[in-house]
This record gives sequence, structure tokens and C-alpha cells, in this order.
Amino acid sequence: MNTTSSTNQLTTLLDNQALTRLERLRLQPNRRKTNRTQGEHASGKGGSSTEFADYRNYVPGDDVRFVDWNIFARLNRPYMKLYQYEEVMHVAILVDASNSMKFENKFERARQLAAAMGVTALMGVERVSAYVVGASGEPPRVMPPGSGRASMRRLFDFFERAECGGDAPIDGAVEAMLRRHRGKGMAIVISDFLTPASLARPFNLLYSAGLEIFALQVLGPTEIDPELTGDLRLVDSENGTTVDVSSIDELHGIYHEHREQLQEHVRRQSRTRNGRFLSISSEAPLDWVLFDLLQRQGWLK
Amino acid sequence: MSWTGFLSPSWAWLFLLVIPLVIVYFLKLKRPRFEIPSLVLWHSVINDQRVNSPFQRFRKHLLLWLQLAILLSLIVAAMQPFLRGGAGSSDNLPILVDCSASMSAIDTRGGATRMERAKERITELIDEALPGRICLIAVGAGARQLTEFTNNKRILTEALDTLTVRDVPGNLVDGLRMAQALARRETISTVTLVSDGNFPDLQDTAGGQKIARVDVELPFKLQFEKLETDAVNMGITAFNARRQSAAGAADSLTPWDVFVRINGSPDDVTSGEVLLEQDGQEVGRQPIALEAGQSKRLVYSLQTSGVSRLAARIVSDGFDGLSSDNTAYLELPVSRSLLVWCDADLQSYRHALQVFPDVTVYPSDDASGQPDVFDLAITETTRKANPNLQASVRLVIGAIPEDLAELVTTRSGNSLVVDWNRSSLLLQHVNLDSIEIADEPVRGDDVLDQHFREAGYEILATGRSGPLVLARHTPGRQTFYLLFHTDRSTLPYRVGFPVLIKNAIDITRHAAGLAEVGGQPTRVLAPRMLDRNTTYTVSAPGSTTQTFRTGPDGLLSGVPAPRVGIYRISEDGSEVARVGAGVLDAGESSLASADLIEPRDEELRVSASTTQIDTDRPLWPTLAWIAFIVLLVEWWYFQKKTVRVSG
Repeated sequence: MNTTSSTNQLTTLLDNQALTRLERLRLQPNRRKTNRTQGEHASGKGGSSTEFADYRNYVPGDDVRFVDWNIFARLNRPYMKLYQYEEVMHVAILVDASNSMKFENKFERARQLAAAMGVTALMGVERVSAYVVGASGEPPRVMPPGSGRASMRRLFDFFERAECGGDAPIDGAVEAMLRRHRGKGMAIVISDFLTPASLARPFNLLYSAGLEIFALQVLGPTEIDPELTGDLRLVDSENGTTVDVSSIDELHGIYHEHREQLQEHVRRQSRTRNGRFLSISSEAPLDWVLFDLLQRQGWLK
Repeated sequence: MSWTGFLSPSWAWLFLLVIPLVIVYFLKLKRPRFEIPSLVLWHSVINDQRVNSPFQRFRKHLLLWLQLAILLSLIVAAMQPFLRGGAGSSDNLPILVDCSASMSAIDTRGGATRMERAKERITELIDEALPGRICLIAVGAGARQLTEFTNNKRILTEALDTLTVRDVPGNLVDGLRMAQALARRETISTVTLVSDGNFPDLQDTAGGQKIARVDVELPFKLQFEKLETDAVNMGITAFNARRQSAAGAADSLTPWDVFVRINGSPDDVTSGEVLLEQDGQEVGRQPIALEAGQSKRLVYSLQTSGVSRLAARIVSDGFDGLSSDNTAYLELPVSRSLLVWCDADLQSYRHALQVFPDVTVYPSDDASGQPDVFDLAITETTRKANPNLQASVRLVIGAIPEDLAELVTTRSGNSLVVDWNRSSLLLQHVNLDSIEIADEPVRGDDVLDQHFREAGYEILATGRSGPLVLARHTPGRQTFYLLFHTDRSTLPYRVGFPVLIKNAIDITRHAAGLAEVGGQPTRVLAPRMLDRNTTYTVSAPGSTTQTFRTGPDGLLSGVPAPRVGIYRISEDGSEVARVGAGVLDAGESSLASADLIEPRDEELRVSASTTQIDTDRPLWPTLAWIAFIVLLVEWWYFQKKTVRVSG
């Protein structure tokens, strides 16, 4: 499923049929990190939901509306009825928009996945905020937190207008996001994670900020299986540095080993912080990713 | 000696081209740029220890290595390397080619002649030995240098194409001596002989091999490349006639006994018929069957009334390898009296000659019939003193040859015969004991017998102070000198005197061909007396003609006869004589092959090699091919570098 521009479509990122299916799905965090703001996530006794939790003795000053008068009639003592709290969960979506995401439809697929995740979060009555980080040193593009179906249009507009370009590494992008983000919940980081720096620091920052890490890696087919031959001068798209490689076809095996080591590094960094990691190809069908892979991996339900 | 070498090592300076090649390579090295999302993974790949292995370092500049391989291959090819072979060096290589009669033999019915096979092998030798210098020498009855030392293949090939077999016995010694002479002015380490091994005078060794001994010292290594032989042959090896002794000069018909000797193959049974033709008419036909190695003499009797030309031919029943020895020719002379000149003063000789019925002595009373040329001249003057007296055999009485004037002189005295050659034709059965001689020939101081031999004289009888009787043999002439005058000796009164005259008559009769004639073998025609100072044209078989001129003595000599057939001698278009020549050589007809060649130094005995010998092999074509293949690999590798650019 590619980006559609039909006027009948709600967004150019996702078709209406996919949106319909996404509205029935919910994000599945490992731990419910919620905020005091009233929301849909039950968070303990003393809330104002309709879900009964317990009784306690009345103390002066309590709201008499929560006194159980039936108990008072039988025991002639006032008891207070306690209900479950229902708190809201923040879902922060961070999309890497550096130059490395320009290749092989990676950024397009990242925008589609971010929009899809945002839709499921909004339909789950979560507060959704989005960040697109491109160039380092520049403030990220931010979609302020919003919730409910009313924010869906804003979400789509944000990602449709997102542009790719810049040299911001993913760790810098995480720091830039956290400087603006408030609230616990989950952070969906969509990037290729091709960074020389360790991901321990940015993931620690996310974890300490009360965000559960959902790391989604998008790689192009050439990055997954580079079919390059001969002697080449490889140029980094982000900083323009070069490296000369001879008989590059002889190095494919070693390249695969290093790619798998990188993926294992990201996965380990995520799991040690109760997070999740998933790597997909930018050429993988979007329907298969959303409605098969992510559900099987427990990201969506 | 190393196993390889270079013909043009000076081209090694081209190795300096490696330096600019490497510089240009690194200056011009331009890799295609390929932009990728991130170098993170590739940095880690490059930093991997395995990538920096020695092999990977080599692979990193594979293109440079390929270019260096091409350049080095071309440079080494320009230096013309070669692998040393068994045939010797690549500098100078004389190739002796046997072109004797046996080389025209065919070993299998319908197959190639030995000469054709030799040419094929020599062509291979030329190809393998080039660019070394080669000299072709044809070895027949003598040795002929066909080419100078050259590496021009065209010249060598043309010389080889013009080489033909000569129907003559081979003379290996002459060929080796010519190579020996060449070795004095050129550096020659090896001489290659290509032959069927049919050399004169082959001998059997204790091991059953045949060996050819040559009286030549070899300053080089002789490589004997022997052609494979397996021929069956039957040939005429002798063709003679003898006048029957009962015949007199006055008879109108002269009876002759004609002898034809046929030799068979040394290893096979042969059979056929021998035909005898007289003046074109068949006069005899005899079947003949020979065991292996057997020879047989056939005798025919016939009569002639004048000059008669005989031809003997073999008609073989089966396969006959050599055809040139199947025909032989013989000319029977007309019967006549011997023409003898005897000085009028030599009465004792004239008296002795009267007893021979078929001898006409001059000067006679009838001066009108005196011939210009005599068969025998008995005179007191030497040939130089009386050049007008022409005779095949000359007996000079009491005169010293002019060219021996410094070696021997005559003085008055009393001399005796000390010793004489009893087996010489002139003095056989002549007893010279106790003969007193008034003239005493005295040799000069420090004059040895060797000096007479060097002057061309043979001493037949020796006195106390010097030689008494000398003989000198030149082509077509025999001269005997009695250095003392017989009239001043007791010889005319001895029994030996008429015997001496009889011997002189016999020698003359043989020289004139009146008693016995033999077939003319190839090589050189026998000298023939013709008109003086006259130009003659000799037409040889094969439509080749040569011109010869007789001298003041009228002797036509030195006419080459390399082929079997009829040679016609003509003067101004009119034929004056006809001579038939045949091989008539038992060695050539036997087609026997030598397994060994033994030069004077027996330790240098040379074995025949029937397998192809190794020669210097040039390596530059191989290197050129390697360079071309590497160039193709480089081109493929360069084209293979095209990158599949994604996204």
C-alpha cells in the first residue's frame, strides 16, 4: 500500500480501508505508564471512574456524594465508596528525518508507520505527540499533544508536511524530543538507527522520562543486502565523508554480520529497558507490516 | 648451463616502465562514487581485521596487479626468452642434410621419400631454432653450403625447397669437415645431422649395431637425427665388361663378357628380372632371386662390331625402395690397335714392341697415317719438352721432370737398384736385381721421399743415391719416368725388359678401355679425350646443361654427374659422345643404416636418435598469449565493476 493522493482519501499516507482497520487496533505497551490526567488507563483506587474499587471510613471533609448510604442505613456508620482511577498515557512518536532516511523509500515508510501508530493511539484515547528531527542544531518539528478523533486530521497534516533532510543522529534527535516532551507513556522511535554512537544514552533518557521504548528500524533493500561489486568510493549521505572499498562483493558476508550486530545492539538496548525492537524493510508491504507483523510481535492488538 | 636464456636481454631497460605505470595508476585511480545512507556499517566492515588480511590487500589493487602482469609479460617477451633444448644453443646451428642416393628411397609403398621426411623434420627444426642462426649444408658426394648462417626463415625455406637428392654415395666426412671449418669462424656448440644413416663403409659392432667411423675430430657436439628406415631394395652395384682374350684386333666382331652384379636387401628376400639392352635392343633377360644380404653376379656374352652402348635394368617383382640403382650403363669401345709412339732412337723398345700383334708403332714409314693422339708414348722427352706429343700413358726414358729438377739430378756413375715396388703395374714380374746403370740419379741434400710425394710423384724404384723410377697419375693420364737411360744400363739385355714393355702395354690397354671397361658411376664423368681447346655442352638428365672447354691436351674432365641417366656431350649442337651413369654403389643399394657415428676420438661416439630432439623453444609467443589473456581478464574485471545503483 503506497501513499495515495486520491481526493476521496482521508490522508495521502494511509488509505481509508487501512484507517478503518487501524481504528480497531490498540497499542500494547508492556507497562502502563500513565499520567495523573484522567484518561482511559485504570491506575488505582480513588479515581472517578464507574469501576468500583473498595470502601473506606468516612473522615470529615470527604465528599458526601461518595458515601454509601445503603451501608450507612444498615450499620449506621458512614463508609466512602472508592472507584478506579483512569489515567491518560502519552504516546510520543519520533521520526528520524536525517538524510539517511531519504533512500529507498525509507522516510515515506517511516511517515506511514508513524501515522498508523498515531491513529491507533488517538483511537485509544491516548495523548499523542509527534516529532520529526532532521538537521542537528535545529529545533525538531513538533506536533503538540492531542487526543481523540479530532486530532487525527492534525496528525495527518503533520506527517504529510514532514520533510526529510539533515544530519541529526538518532541520539541527538531523542534529546531534542525530550527537551519538549512532558508525560509518561511510550516513545515510538522510527529510524534506521545507523549511528556510530551507542544507543544506551538516548534509551536511558527515554526510560528515565517514563517512556517505554518502541524502536522501529526501517532499512532499505540495499542496506539489508547490498549487491555492490567492484571498487567503489562510498559517500555518506549525511556528512559527505567517503570510504574506498575494493572488491566490495567479497565483503558482503562481513557486512551482513555487522548489520546483524547493529540490530542486536538496538534490540538489547530496548529490551533491557522493557522496550521492543523491530526491523523492517522499506519495501515490505505496509498492510503486512501493520496487520500481520506488528500484531504478531505484540505491538498492536 | 641454465635451462633458459634471453636472446635480447638489452630490452630489460623496459622494466623501468613499471615506475610510471604505478605512478599513473595511483594518480589516475578513480573509483565510481556511490552515495549510501550511512557509512556506519561500512566503516565497521573496513575496520574488521579480516578485511585487512594480506589477501585482501592484494585484492585491493587487483587492477594494478593485472596491468603489471601485462607489462611484465610484454617486456619479458621482448627480451625473447627461450628454453634450452637438446639440440644446442640458439646461436649458430649447422644442419647437415644427407642428400645421397639412399635419401630418395621410399620405405613404404606409396609413402614419402626419405628426403621429403627429412625436409619436414628440418622445417620443424628451423621453426624451433629460430630466431637463432641456422646454416644448411647438403651432404652428397661432397658437402655444399646451401645458406650462410641466417635467421631468415624465407631464405632457409627456399634453400630447403631447392634441395634435391643426388644419385651419389654420401660422404659424411666432407660434411663434418665443412662444419669443422665453419666452427673456426663461428661459435658452434652443436651440429645436427639429418640422415637415414646410410654412410660408406659401415661396420658391425659387437653389439650388433652398425657403426660409421669418420676420421674427423669433432670440436662440437654432433646430434645425429636418424630417419626411420624400413626399405626393401635390389640394385645394380657393378656393371663391367671384359674383352675375351681370344679375340684379335683384326676380327670384325669383338666378343665381350658382360658382368652385372646385383645386391639384395640386407634383411629381406628380393626377386625380379635383370634385362640387358644393347644399343636399345634387349639381348638378355635373367630372373634373379636373392636371399637377405646376398649378391649375385650375372654374366652375359655378346659381340660388338663397333662402339656399343649397354644398359642393364632391374624389374623387381615386389616393392623396391630405391629406383635410381635399378639402371646402369656401359659403353663398349670399338676394337682397334693400340697406337704407340716410340722415339726412333729407342730401338730396343721398338724391337720389343714388334711382338705385340695389336700394337701399331709410330713413327712409321707411312707418315701420312700418323694420329694426333696416342695411347702410349715411349719417349726421351718430357711432356713439357714436347707438348705436341699427346698420349694417355707416357713412358719417359732418361729424363727428369722439370718440377723435380731441384730434388734430383743425374750424374755419371755406377748405380744399382736397391729396391722397387714389385706390386706396381709397371714393375710387376720385372726383376731389377743386378742391373747396372751408368746414369746415377742423385737426390738433393735433405730431400726425402715425402718431398716427391708432395710433388705428386710415386717412387717405384730406388737406387743408392736417389729414385730411379717415378710414376705420376693425373686425371686421364699416367706418366712413368725412368730417370736413367736404359740404353746406358743392362736392362735391355735382361728378361725383365720385355716384361716391362708388356706391363706398359697392359696399362695402356686398360686406360684405353680396350681390354676391360667398367660402368660409369655417378659423381664425375671419366675424363675423355676430345678436340683441343674446344667448347662442349654437356646435357645432364633433368634438362640441365653445362659448358666445358678442353685444354691444349684435349682432355674433357671434371664433368659432374650427380644423377643417373644419359649425359650427352655436344659441340655446336651436334652430339659427339654419350655417356650413361649409374649409382653402382653397394653401400647405397643396401640402404643399410648406421646406428652409431664414431669420430676420431672414440669417446665422442654419437648414437642415432630416431625421436625428435629437443631444440631451443622460444617463449615469447607464450608470453604474448599470457599478456593477451591477462588483458582480457583485466577488461572483464574492469567491466564487471559497474555498480547496480539502487533507489
